Amino acid sequence: MTLRKGNRHFCILICQPHLYRETSPLAALSWCSPVSAVSQCRALHTTVSRRGLDEFFDLPENWGENNVKSGAPWTAKQLRTKSNEDLHKLWYVLLKEKNMLLSLEQESRRQRLQMPSPERLKKVSRSMFRLETVVKERETALRLLQTGQEKGRPGAWRRNIFGYAYWYRYKEYAIPWYMNKRYKRKRFFTPKFVQPHIRLRLEKHLRGKARDASLQRGSRSKLKEKFPQMKVSAS
Amino acid sequence: MPVTRVLYPLYQLGNPQLRIFRPNWFLTLVRPGKEQPPDTVQFRTPMEMTKCDIKNYLVNIYNVPVGAVRTRIQFGSNKKRNHRNQKIKQPDYKVAYVQLAQGQTFSFPDVFPEKDKTPEEGSMEEMEQKFMEDEKQRQKLDPRRGGVTEWFGL
Repeated sequence: MTLRKGNRHFCILICQPHLYRETSPLAALSWCSPVSAVSQCRALHTTVSRRGLDEFFDLPENWGENNVKSGAPWTAKQLRTKSNEDLHKLWYVLLKEKNMLLSLEQESRRQRLQMPSPERLKKVSRSMFRLETVVKERETALRLLQTGQEKGRPGAWRRNIFGYAYWYRYKEYAIPWYMNKRYKRKRFFTPKFVQPHIRLRLEKHLRGKARDASLQRGSRSKLKEKFPQMKVSAS
Repeated sequence: MPVTRVLYPLYQLGNPQLRIFRPNWFLTLVRPGKEQPPDTVQFRTPMEMTKCDIKNYLVNIYNVPVGAVRTRIQFGSNKKRNHRNQKIKQPDYKVAYVQLAQGQTFSFPDVFPEKDKTPEEGSMEEMEQKFMEDEKQRQKLDPRRGGVTEWFGL
């Protein structure tokens, strides 16, 4: 991922929701949709919190505590009810929270003390993962409606030298494929000499399947012998 | 549960500026091991972040006025071995030294201060503490024995 200097900008809406972080980001998102009196114009978002580097640490009341209370992680069902702007803001709230928790974890390791409530990290990671899945769902739905394509990244079914067919995802290159020496060394077909190996592999797989089936039959017949009234489960 | 690997579009001269929504990178503020100048903040960043990335990240997300950023990659040791004598690799990480602009200073605070842990009246913690003290008192021997253990009869 080595891109050129200075060509990555972060698009964030300039709304930092809280002056002081009274509620943790794991609570319900009731503050994020301001009610505007005028229906024509959009609500103005202003930067409220300007704590800077203090946001890498918890609120000072929580320093030195053994347990810090936090709510439940966000579920995908809850996240699907939120608008795109809300999800965007929530991502950054969760990001800052995770940065804070990672800094706290590192400091606790340095001081050789226990980190207060380490389950918060898991909760935040899971919330972020679910947020990502919800956003991806919305993107695929939009893409299907607009273009008819399900996947954003183009690909194709190809066969590799071992005889397996897999979904090859295209990668962006600066030169065409016929000038790419490394790509040409990769063979997307199965040579003839691999056929015996494929056959042996197939035989091994079938033998394994037959062995499992006979094992199941044997165990079931033994059970039937011991318990003749037993009802055979449909499988 | 990791997020799947993201492939960023290839950049060639003249391409539009790449904008990233929902960056998946996390910075860890660490206490410096060696004494640093008062305006320097030390971070542990993912390996893929560059100096410009870190600058943009801090300026846009945290509103921190960043002057200069210097990075280095810390090699995680591969020397330790486990009970099977296999080499165990400690992960590599990138360290960023960020100098703040506008004459700001930063000192790493004491995040684990000594707190007076007296539980409030009528609470669960107070009852637990009383119970534990009672138990410990029961386990102690008769003080009239003068520290002699139970092994000595009578």
